[in-house]
Amino acid sequence: MSNSPTGVGKFNYLYGLINLAVVFGIVWVLWFIFMHADGVMKLYTPMYGFSLVAMLLASVILLGKVLGWPSDPERALPAGKAIGQGILGVVLSLAIMYVVYYLGFWLFIGKLGVAYFSPKALVAGGGTGAEPWNAREWSSTAILYFSTAFLWWALVWDLGFGRWPWQNDSRWVTGWSRLFAVSIFSIITFAVLFHPHVCLIFPEAQKMAGAKPWWEGWASTTSAFFGLGMVLCTLFWVVYSDLFWEGRPWKWLERGGESNLAKGVVTFLGTLLLGLLLVYVLTAIFNAIWMEPYQGGQYTDGPDWRFIHMGEVSGFCVLFAFIWKYYFNNWPNGLPLLVRAIIRSIIGVAGGMLIYWFYYSPLAVVVLGKVPGWGQPSDQPLVWTLLFLGVLLMQAQFFHDWPLRRASGQGD
Amino acid sequence: MKRREFLKGMAATGAAASMTGGLGVISKSAHAADKVDFGQVKGLEVEVLSETSWFDNDIFKKNLMDYGGAMTNQYTIPWDWNNAGGYMTKITVYPLEGDPKILLMDTGWNNEWVDYIYDEKSDMGKLLTSGKVDTMILSHWHLDHYWGVESTLKRSPKITMYAPKTYFEEDMKLLKGGQNVAKTKDGKEVVINKNGTPHQGKLVLTDPKGEKGDTIYRLMPGVAVKMYDVPILLRVRGENVLYFNVKDKGIVTVTGCCHPGILTLNAWARRNVKDYKPYGCYGGLHITLFETWDPKFDDIIKGVKAFQLKKVGCNHCTGWIWGEKASAAGVPIVKGTDKYKSYKRTSTVAKASNVFLTNGDTVVF
Repeated sequence: MSNSPTGVGKFNYLYGLINLAVVFGIVWVLWFIFMHADGVMKLYTPMYGFSLVAMLLASVILLGKVLGWPSDPERALPAGKAIGQGILGVVLSLAIMYVVYYLGFWLFIGKLGVAYFSPKALVAGGGTGAEPWNAREWSSTAILYFSTAFLWWALVWDLGFGRWPWQNDSRWVTGWSRLFAVSIFSIITFAVLFHPHVCLIFPEAQKMAGAKPWWEGWASTTSAFFGLGMVLCTLFWVVYSDLFWEGRPWKWLERGGESNLAKGVVTFLGTLLLGLLLVYVLTAIFNAIWMEPYQGGQYTDGPDWRFIHMGEVSGFCVLFAFIWKYYFNNWPNGLPLLVRAIIRSIIGVAGGMLIYWFYYSPLAVVVLGKVPGWGQPSDQPLVWTLLFLGVLLMQAQFFHDWPLRRASGQGD
Repeated sequence: MKRREFLKGMAATGAAASMTGGLGVISKSAHAADKVDFGQVKGLEVEVLSETSWFDNDIFKKNLMDYGGAMTNQYTIPWDWNNAGGYMTKITVYPLEGDPKILLMDTGWNNEWVDYIYDEKSDMGKLLTSGKVDTMILSHWHLDHYWGVESTLKRSPKITMYAPKTYFEEDMKLLKGGQNVAKTKDGKEVVINKNGTPHQGKLVLTDPKGEKGDTIYRLMPGVAVKMYDVPILLRVRGENVLYFNVKDKGIVTVTGCCHPGILTLNAWARRNVKDYKPYGCYGGLHITLFETWDPKFDDIIKGVKAFQLKKVGCNHCTGWIWGEKASAAGVPIVKGTDKYKSYKRTSTVAKASNVFLTNGDTVVF
């Protein structure tokens, strides 16, 4: 992601603010239609809605970051072209989400291979608790985990490996090759971080199908919220180094303007280590706020909740990073890289805390229909966050940020 | 490095505390230095008046699913009345000196079921009418613990009530002698609860600060109510928990649903109650409400063992499957009897393992 908008001159921050307000409104309307407890479709069960928005975001990322479509989304387009391409992008994203979620997981893999990806296969298998409601929540949990693994690899591959090793091939060869690479690593990640959890969600644990959660001794929980939190803390650094640090320090390993194996490996390991560091710091912060958790604790005392809450904090900061990048032109831009990277990072974290405050304020109780307080097991702040992120990225990638950035320069 | 060591190491740096200072959400009660002393009792007997809040999980869940899921406002769902039962508990407290005192926790859901329990399956109806039971602790404002309030008030309108201060408008409307309606999908309005006898007694609205700022409300020596301000499904918030300090045994908790978590209840007592010793618990433990499973429920089994409770009496929203797994893992689950089979209705999830203390059972602490 380049930091310099193409085709525009001076950025109009007032337009950015208006754009943010409009997108917030759009997200609220979508929230009310699809998720809100008093809304229309009420998909926020919570895991079904959670997995759907995660899959939607994965579809948007798949198109933009993995397949590389549309090319050069930073370039401003004439309004007509931007709208046409934007609508096509939204339709394609929804189509991919539908095909992968319902046809791929529910009807194909779930029914013919791994039963926990399909509610109907789980119900058909019978046993305690295997009825439509539980089964849909179980399969949604599995799909959510897979989408998370995919998002991690898609973004870290784009930042670290770039087009390597297909830089001399056509865009489509590169895109499809990246899709296969990202998918393979996502499957491995899912198997190691999340499959052991999913194997335990049935009343008769599938002990022969999944390893005992290997993280229990360290994390004091058998829940894969441990892995979810860690991945999202890692994604914090992937996004911040991409958007705010303009690809540094990983970019320094490029040769001839192209990524390479070393850059990819260092980026992967570097962001992972920074992610673990963030886990370390947030653990200590939560410990200071809510005291030490203990295995079996519920609400804020549960280690599992602490881990997913780390992911939620990271998610808020990531959302604000994208807001700052696209609606506020990644200010500041005229200073030395180190200075602007530091300033942006501080702003990003402060903005993330602002979103945190909003989500846990009485305002969100009214606007989003959430129950006040922390740690309610059915309260998943990432659902709203990912929905917001999905809509934002659709505008940025598919509409080339129209109407905020236009080829005519009217947005200046 | 073990996580505990890791946390201790972090705490030693002091960095964490300074970083969180700006968030303004540090729980003062969590850092309370002074331990509370609320006296002791000789013992207590808990009688399960009714733990069957509904009889068929699938019907309850279908109502929930059809009208929006767990985050929906409970007052917007036209619940299947025939599936409604209720949760009520009779607690006989034996003080160190003097006569026993009987407390009522919660007041059920379906008035027909509550009346049946009060008049035909227990002496609670007579105790309320005669004024021998003059105090009710409402654990929380959920339908299955509260909507049957008319059955209690028509026998004892002046009963003293301890209820979480985190009520909603509809809750208070019902308490003051009103009714609430919900709409079905085809727009038809249905009365979902009603109360023809307004509450005339003392209403103590509990909050986490407690009566004297020490986080608890003292009912009598050795008995305290503590309110946990936790978010709960169906747009409910806050739960009252009863703590008993039993001489020579230790702390016993009695709960409606135990939404804060049984370990949280004991962790609070460990940090804040003078001479804390873990002993027992009774009530719904809110673990696997719909008989499903998650790895974190395995965590709770391990946690309960680590906290060294001696007597675990559970039912209601605990989940039979958790009771069975916990019992198999060595948690001291107090087994129930088959007495519940003599009641006119029984839960569809009741099992021969008797890991629940069911309707009509008693447990002594």
